[in-house]
Amino acid sequence: MDSIFIYRNPENADGNGPLKGLKVAIQLNISAAGWPAEAGSNALVNFKALEDATIVQRLRKAGAYICGSTRMSEFGFGLQGSSAGQALRQKEADAELVLDLMGESRLAAQRARVCGFKPSYGLISRLGLIGLIPSMECCGVLSGSLKNIRAILKAVAGPDELDFSLPDEATPDFSPQKIDPEKTTIGLITEALAELPAGHEKMFRAAVGKLKKAGFSLRDLSLPDFPLFSLVHKIVGSVEASSCAGRYDSVRYGRRAAGAKNWNDMYLLSRGAAFGLLLKGYLMQGAFFQFERYDAYEDACRIRARLLDDMQRLTSQVDFLVFPMADHESDGAPASIADTYAQFTSTIFASVTGQPALYLPPISGSAHTGLQLAGPRLSDGRLLALGEHILNTRRGGK
Amino acid sequence: MEFEAVIGLEIHVELNCTTKMFCDCPNRPGDEPNANTCPICLWFPGAIPRFSREALEKASLLCLGLGAELQPKSAFDQKVYYYPDLPKGFQLSQAHLPLSRGGGIEITDESGKPKKLRIHHIHMEEDVAKLVHEMEGRLPISLVDFNRAGSPLVEIVTEPDFRSPYEAMEFLKALRTQVRSVGSSECSMDNGTMRVDANISIRPRGTDQMNTKVEVKNMNSVRHVGDAIAYEIIRQGAAVQAGEAVVLHTRLWDPEKKVTLPMRAKFEGPCVPDPAVPVIELSPEWIEKMRSRLPEMPAVKAERLVKQHGVTGEEAAFLSSDAEVASYFEELVGQGVAPRTAMHWLITQLAPAVRERKLELCSSPVTPERLAVLLKMLSNNEINANAAREVLTHMFDSDDSAEAIVTARGFRQVSDTATLDTLIDKVLNEQPAAVADLRSGQGKAMGFLIGQVMQASGGKANPKMIRELLSKKLI
Repeated sequence: MDSIFIYRNPENADGNGPLKGLKVAIQLNISAAGWPAEAGSNALVNFKALEDATIVQRLRKAGAYICGSTRMSEFGFGLQGSSAGQALRQKEADAELVLDLMGESRLAAQRARVCGFKPSYGLISRLGLIGLIPSMECCGVLSGSLKNIRAILKAVAGPDELDFSLPDEATPDFSPQKIDPEKTTIGLITEALAELPAGHEKMFRAAVGKLKKAGFSLRDLSLPDFPLFSLVHKIVGSVEASSCAGRYDSVRYGRRAAGAKNWNDMYLLSRGAAFGLLLKGYLMQGAFFQFERYDAYEDACRIRARLLDDMQRLTSQVDFLVFPMADHESDGAPASIADTYAQFTSTIFASVTGQPALYLPPISGSAHTGLQLAGPRLSDGRLLALGEHILNTRRGGK
Repeated sequence: MEFEAVIGLEIHVELNCTTKMFCDCPNRPGDEPNANTCPICLWFPGAIPRFSREALEKASLLCLGLGAELQPKSAFDQKVYYYPDLPKGFQLSQAHLPLSRGGGIEITDESGKPKKLRIHHIHMEEDVAKLVHEMEGRLPISLVDFNRAGSPLVEIVTEPDFRSPYEAMEFLKALRTQVRSVGSSECSMDNGTMRVDANISIRPRGTDQMNTKVEVKNMNSVRHVGDAIAYEIIRQGAAVQAGEAVVLHTRLWDPEKKVTLPMRAKFEGPCVPDPAVPVIELSPEWIEKMRSRLPEMPAVKAERLVKQHGVTGEEAAFLSSDAEVASYFEELVGQGVAPRTAMHWLITQLAPAVRERKLELCSSPVTPERLAVLLKMLSNNEINANAAREVLTHMFDSDDSAEAIVTARGFRQVSDTATLDTLIDKVLNEQPAAVADLRSGQGKAMGFLIGQVMQASGGKANPKMIRELLSKKLI
């Protein structure tokens, strides 16, 4: 046991292929055959994955070395107890995979001052990912180098005959692409700046100014419903979590509570003991909406569809979007669902819409919080190219 | 106050697919426990269901066969409940967007009038695991067999159109016939491929109230469904007369005691769409392709048989209730056998003979072609009915043609007047009393004399000619 890894690959690296030599850390909610797959929860204690997740299998095939599983929050919900990003910081890995439910991969990247990428929903097979919010979660990639992220995406993205839920769409091109700032417009949703902590807006505007200086056209856009992203996520996410988490009943794996009088009792005691406080609260909230306020859940689904339309309309007017990344690093662990959501106000939109989003760290030594870029659905390849262009400009322009 | 019953049925039909609904495991629940399982149907974390095309096709054919409208868009939801037969905590079922809506079956009610019983919708869902309760010494244990987990099911939900146990039973029989004829399921309540729940409420006759219903489960034959409904109508009537309220709950039919008994209260919440299973979109072209694969449905077939071959409605219903029988009949007629003769021989001779030998009509060595030759010899008076029955028996044991058997075994009918005359004269000499009776007008004696001549001929004489010749001689 160490502070970063909860499980280390006992085998040595021996892969061959385009990713040869690349060390990739995963989490306990990403299946690797024979490895513990406890997803950070007592509900899955002693559960070992039977097969590789498609993403792991494809990484291995491309020659990458899966070096171990890092510590994670319960079912990847938030970053409480997570060591995501630390393996990069300690040079124990070249890339990390982090399941993204509401922005975890970007927030962890910010904390580790590395790049964090959340691909378009459905671009990467979900087979073997132990999730909580099936309509939103997707596997994010963290790395100090965007080239690594691009190479990984190239190896893992695309159709999987074992995951029918992947949409029948053309996989984006992940080969290097040129970005011409003169022909590129980046939009800024002004409502996204509303809830920034004091001083952050100024810092963000300064960073946007640098994009302008680099030759990009900037354009202000308006999405008055922007605050609804969090609300919709809270309702839809918790209902899906509550319904899906039914499979974590602590009967076949996890710890079955002793002393139950009957089946019902066994479920109540075991599930009661299995989940941590935060997750239990989240599941309870979902159950409340599902069984007591289904109308609110249906409303949330409708609003989600509307937000998706709104976002599509906005992304069609520009090439990319730029968002702030508020610095939410606090001293204590978040205590409540509200605290947890508050950390993700800047990132949650992309989980609701399923669009790709990329976090870029600031220049080392700077007090800046970094930038978040996003693009329309399946613009993943171009979005990474944009990130690479911006990082190169910084290096060239120092 | 006089009550009438309002009854609706929920019928689960297990589709006879080769694989389960969301994985490639064999759909053979009866195998060695847990032999047919994989991470998907064991519902392990990280597994993703893969919807089977075969299940979609068989379910769609079933819907079309029941006159239902396939929906352009349907989707699976998570139906949440906690019970050890569903360790995943939710069942994939089409709660919001079912595969089809509408449809129905026309039955003949108790008064002999046609009555259409409507179907509200038909949806697909996965079956759950099977619990086996055993004793390990003195410790009761429950084992879970996942062979059935994920087996493809459809649930047919009817409108509350039924007013009597009789109607429910007639509907189920007709449903079984229809579904069997499209080939989607055996639909046997015996082996559990058809499971029926009945929702029953009562109201004062003539009103259109919809009162609190009670669900009754655990009937394992069509007869039990009728019995359970009949019992429940009486039970609810008595309760209402006694001033008790009927509360929403589920009851189990006890076939031994012939009563319904209350079971645990049902917990069911609204279902959440499952994003892991893609939405099913059916194009009009695909639906038409399915429709073209639909065999002629029994009701349509019966109507055609009446029109085309002049059989009675009852006979047509009998013939069309089994696609094999109907096709055998039509092949016989196609070989030039008169429909009446074909119908009669099929029902009274061939079907029992096939059953007796534990064969299937379609695998019987007596093919329609072979039987047609025999029946044509019969209608041409080359053999008589007795001989034909015997020849049929021989045809099961030999590949010889009916003609060959008739010739080899001397079954050919004696229709030659001179030979018959000799036989008749012999009998008349031996039976003076019968001759006297006949002359004095006792018609019964004629039958006796014909029988005697037939015996004298070794069963080969043409009975019609004996009668004619006897009449000429004596009357």
